[in-house]
Amino acid sequence: MELIKIVIYTSIYIGLIATSFFILSFLSNKRKKTILYNDNELPFVSIMIPALNEEESVAKTLDSILAINYPKNKFEIVFIDDGSSDNTLKIAKKYKKYGIRIFHKKNDPIGRKGSALNFALKKVKGEIVVSMDADTFVAPDSLKKMVRYFKDPNVMCVSPGITIYQPRNLFQKIQYIEYLMGLFLRKAFASLNAIHITPGAFSAYRKNFFDKYGGYELGNLTEDLEVSLRIQYNHYIIQNAPDAAVYTIAPDNFYDLFKQRRRWYVGLMKNTWKYKKIFSPKYGDLGMFVFPIAWISIFFSVFVTIYLFFKTLIEARKEILFLQSIDFDFPNLLSLNYYVFERWVFLFFSNPIIIFIFFFMIIIGVYLIYASRKLGHISKWYFNLPLFFIFFALLFGFWWTLSVLYIIFNRGIKWR
Amino acid sequence: MANRKIQSFRRYVLAFIIGTTLFLLGFFIVNSLSHIEYQRISDFNNKLSYKIFEDKISYSFFGRKICSDETYRSISEDLSIQGRIIDDLERKFGKENAKVLERKKFYSLVLLEHFEFITLKNEECPKKIHTILFFYSNDPRYLEDSENVGRVLSSVYERNNDLVIYSFDINLDSDLINKLKERYYVQFPLEIIIDEHVKILNVKDIEEIERHLD
Repeated sequence: MELIKIVIYTSIYIGLIATSFFILSFLSNKRKKTILYNDNELPFVSIMIPALNEEESVAKTLDSILAINYPKNKFEIVFIDDGSSDNTLKIAKKYKKYGIRIFHKKNDPIGRKGSALNFALKKVKGEIVVSMDADTFVAPDSLKKMVRYFKDPNVMCVSPGITIYQPRNLFQKIQYIEYLMGLFLRKAFASLNAIHITPGAFSAYRKNFFDKYGGYELGNLTEDLEVSLRIQYNHYIIQNAPDAAVYTIAPDNFYDLFKQRRRWYVGLMKNTWKYKKIFSPKYGDLGMFVFPIAWISIFFSVFVTIYLFFKTLIEARKEILFLQSIDFDFPNLLSLNYYVFERWVFLFFSNPIIIFIFFFMIIIGVYLIYASRKLGHISKWYFNLPLFFIFFALLFGFWWTLSVLYIIFNRGIKWR
Repeated sequence: MANRKIQSFRRYVLAFIIGTTLFLLGFFIVNSLSHIEYQRISDFNNKLSYKIFEDKISYSFFGRKICSDETYRSISEDLSIQGRIIDDLERKFGKENAKVLERKKFYSLVLLEHFEFITLKNEECPKKIHTILFFYSNDPRYLEDSENVGRVLSSVYERNNDLVIYSFDINLDSDLINKLKERYYVQFPLEIIIDEHVKILNVKDIEEIERHLD
């Protein structure tokens, strides 16, 4: 058997075992009792919103956070303009009358978003702090649903049910399915205390954690991820509130999406290296299964992408030589008939990889049904799912391969 | 601090069992689909052989005129696709699969039956139908080249009306194929025989063939 087939079938086999394990973990979590705050016990929360040149979305973000259903005397909003050169600060200042505390600081090109959040951490009064992006919107009950989990003193972070705000084009629709899928997986990981990535767009933290272990790491490409891994590294709990709906604006073109993913993936590699001790039995299911499986799947993805890239080049060369041998006689080459179609259908459906793709489509369909139950109606997911399957694996492999090359050749990555 | 022990070893065992079952189920579905296809192609193959046999008997026994019969081209197209699907099935079930080998031998017999009919037609009728015998190999060393020559031949077929192509697996353990190889002095994979007398090894381009079809 060819090496590539061995790699593909091994990754499918591991994927099926891992998926079965996550579904079983998810189901077992349903039987667990979670300690939650009642309405009268809710702690004081500080919502920190750093912003750099977000004039298009900042008003909607502030409107959405002002509309939250949380005791008015138990939360504050701290807005930090991180040296915007557009109208972000001017727009934010209009919200001062609603009690939003507005700060302006000079942009720190090295410290980036982490620097703005550390600045805010010094100003806030809350027992719980929330990091919120200025292009993110929340449903009114989301904050309350998240903060309830902090009753357990070991919970240091709670992640929401994050999804894409009004996905319009192909790139956003692919990300939409990815985010919705993440809802189920994050809940399954929560049952194993294995959440290792929390959305920077909107996550809640216990302030004590920052007081004890330091604030955001300056210059880290993915400062939110670093905090999540630091929480896990110190054996605390990251919880998940899938029904706490949060909407973020996703990149809508290939280049912006690529820049975002390159930053995320390079950040993930660097932070994983920093916290490599997590790969150990001391970290239970996270160290022994969830973390290794994530990296094995990335390895397979990069391997297959590199293989396909070179294979495509070689095949293209062969195809040109073949076309040359038949005088580029396209009309006759493309002559299609019922039998050609029939043979194609047979080869397509008798390919085990296609059958396994159908399996995974069914599984992801179940994930999406779960997401729709948590977040309400999800528009046209059945149309977007095939798009996701056609493009995401390719894009995922491509982003990862380039990110690995960036690390190998030590190329600098800009935050945006 | 949280308790970081593995939560449940039983869950891992269960996940392994479910994952393995799904993995095997995938191959079981593929195998079942291939069996259905095998059955379908076998039925089709039988019908076609019956049709060729009927045509030959009609001619030799009942004196039917064969020169006006133009169905040979559609029959050859049917044969061609059947051959490809049988090769696909061979790759799915493996070279040693007795059922596929048996079907392949029968298919080669049907091909020869048709070839004989066309030879007869050429002797009897003023219109000349060109024939090409292609000896391919499914051995991994020759597989890619065999497919390429097959594609060149498909193009030749599309461009030339009065042409029938017969593809034989040179490695098939069949007395008939061996006799055919002896008859046309075929020694290597990828050889083609045009109109029973021109032999070309490893065709490089379409013109190499077409110059013999004028």
